[in-house]
Amino acid sequence: MSTNLSGKYAIVGVGQSPLGKVPEMGPIGLFAVAARNAIEDAGLTKQDVDGLITRGPDDVYCHHQRVGEALGLNVTFSTSTANGGASQTMAVAMACMAIEAGVCNTVVVGYGRDTWSRTHRNAEAKQAVASRPRTYSEFGSEFGQFGAPVNYAIAARRHMERFGTTKAQLGAIAVAFRNHARRNPHAFMQKPLDLDEYLSARLIVDPLCLYDCSVFIDGAGAVVVTTAERARDLRQPPAYVLGFGFGNRLSGWFTDDNMITTGAREAGEAAYKMAGIGPRDVDTAQVYDCFTHMVLLQLEDYGFCAKGEGGPFVASGALEAGGVLPTNTSGGQLSEGHIEGMLQVLEGARQVRREHTPDRQVKDCNIALVTGHGGNTVCQSALILGREAG
Amino acid sequence: MSEYNKPLPPPSVESEPFWDGCRRHELLVPRCDACSHHWFPATTTCPECWSTDWVWSRVSGKGKIYSFGVYHRAYHKGFADELPYALVVVELDEGPRLTTNVVGCKPEELSCDMPVEVVFDDVTDDRTLYKFKRVNDP
Ligand SMILES: [Zn+2]
Repeated sequence: MSTNLSGKYAIVGVGQSPLGKVPEMGPIGLFAVAARNAIEDAGLTKQDVDGLITRGPDDVYCHHQRVGEALGLNVTFSTSTANGGASQTMAVAMACMAIEAGVCNTVVVGYGRDTWSRTHRNAEAKQAVASRPRTYSEFGSEFGQFGAPVNYAIAARRHMERFGTTKAQLGAIAVAFRNHARRNPHAFMQKPLDLDEYLSARLIVDPLCLYDCSVFIDGAGAVVVTTAERARDLRQPPAYVLGFGFGNRLSGWFTDDNMITTGAREAGEAAYKMAGIGPRDVDTAQVYDCFTHMVLLQLEDYGFCAKGEGGPFVASGALEAGGVLPTNTSGGQLSEGHIEGMLQVLEGARQVRREHTPDRQVKDCNIALVTGHGGNTVCQSALILGREAG
Repeated sequence: MSEYNKPLPPPSVESEPFWDGCRRHELLVPRCDACSHHWFPATTTCPECWSTDWVWSRVSGKGKIYSFGVYHRAYHKGFADELPYALVVVELDEGPRLTTNVVGCKPEELSCDMPVEVVFDDVTDDRTLYKFKRVNDP
């Protein structure tokens, strides 16, 4: 079995909802707006859609069905995904597989959430946060383990002691993405950020501070995936799916060396092989950035520098506009807003479509790597998008 | 003892023998009869060889710090007075890694690979937590 799907499918439309504080919309409503915008961008109609792969807040049962209901859709292939932040890049790959298998032709893929409004929409929302029942987990809560940042703080500490990585190097990631965000009018964080301010920010879980953590917003993103053949007749230049790959170190973040070398290693190797390229061919990376340190780890694991050299690599200015690897060029989840990696799929497609104004457009952009990461920190998915089919 | 205000999730059917061991001040982890692998927490099958033949084995309680993160924000009121406090991952000499606290030293005194050994903290009449201290600390 050596069927290579490289270049056979493409993202043909991208769409997003309003981003930021959008208290007048719920998570399904946000998704519906993004999906409509993506279909319209492609020059397609509701009648063309016969596949739907979605994800949203984890407490929405059969999320895809709620979205389909809002959009009045009947489709042949439909599901919600459960790979955390690795789901959205994976869902684009699943769309290609489903089309290849002949079960559908045109798939809408997306993610929507109302994370800001859930805790701020009104007095009831604020009260619900204060009184929400906490779920405790054995072998953790007893010792004060709460929230996601600690997992990345522990990984960063180990990386720092083993390789000499510094806080200022993590800061270079936060600063680069903020600089990108300030050129994106839709990005949530528009205030300038420099290294001094980063280094004096309040600590959350040391070594991670406020600016190492992504920003929670309301919003949704969606893309339309169909065949390359069909893509050529549509409104926008296709973003061809040249490669994808997955790595899921399900044995656990705290097991073996999994917080030093992640499943991104396997995801990247598979995606590069499928695309017939290597890291040097990547013009821009859109890297899943729940926390700065996860960017550093992935840059190493996707082969942009050697293991342990992520710190000097990011501090060199590599991720900035005009750097060797402009990364998270819409601001990423650290500054544009955390939509579980979906906005980074959109940005990867927009970069290879070369539709941005010159200040945001990566010059001569042919190939974008988009990565997803999540679940209980161990799931990784990679997607390689190209301006040409191969 | 009734003042204890930190979370104590109830033991599960698979972890009860572990917590019973803590109450006796014994650190127990599963050890596979088939391949001698130690792991934690308990599962029905050995994660290495999938054998279902294993026993709770008392281990030395010695190990070293794998890594740690230091909370500067309280996510739970029970820990508000302890800020900053460290959540520590200890790797036992037998292999398994445990999430825990290290007592008797400040967060800034911790470092990766620091040798530690288990101590037991009887936090309520019926619950005892496993914690660690620096080797050679009293
Ligand atoms: Zn075994």
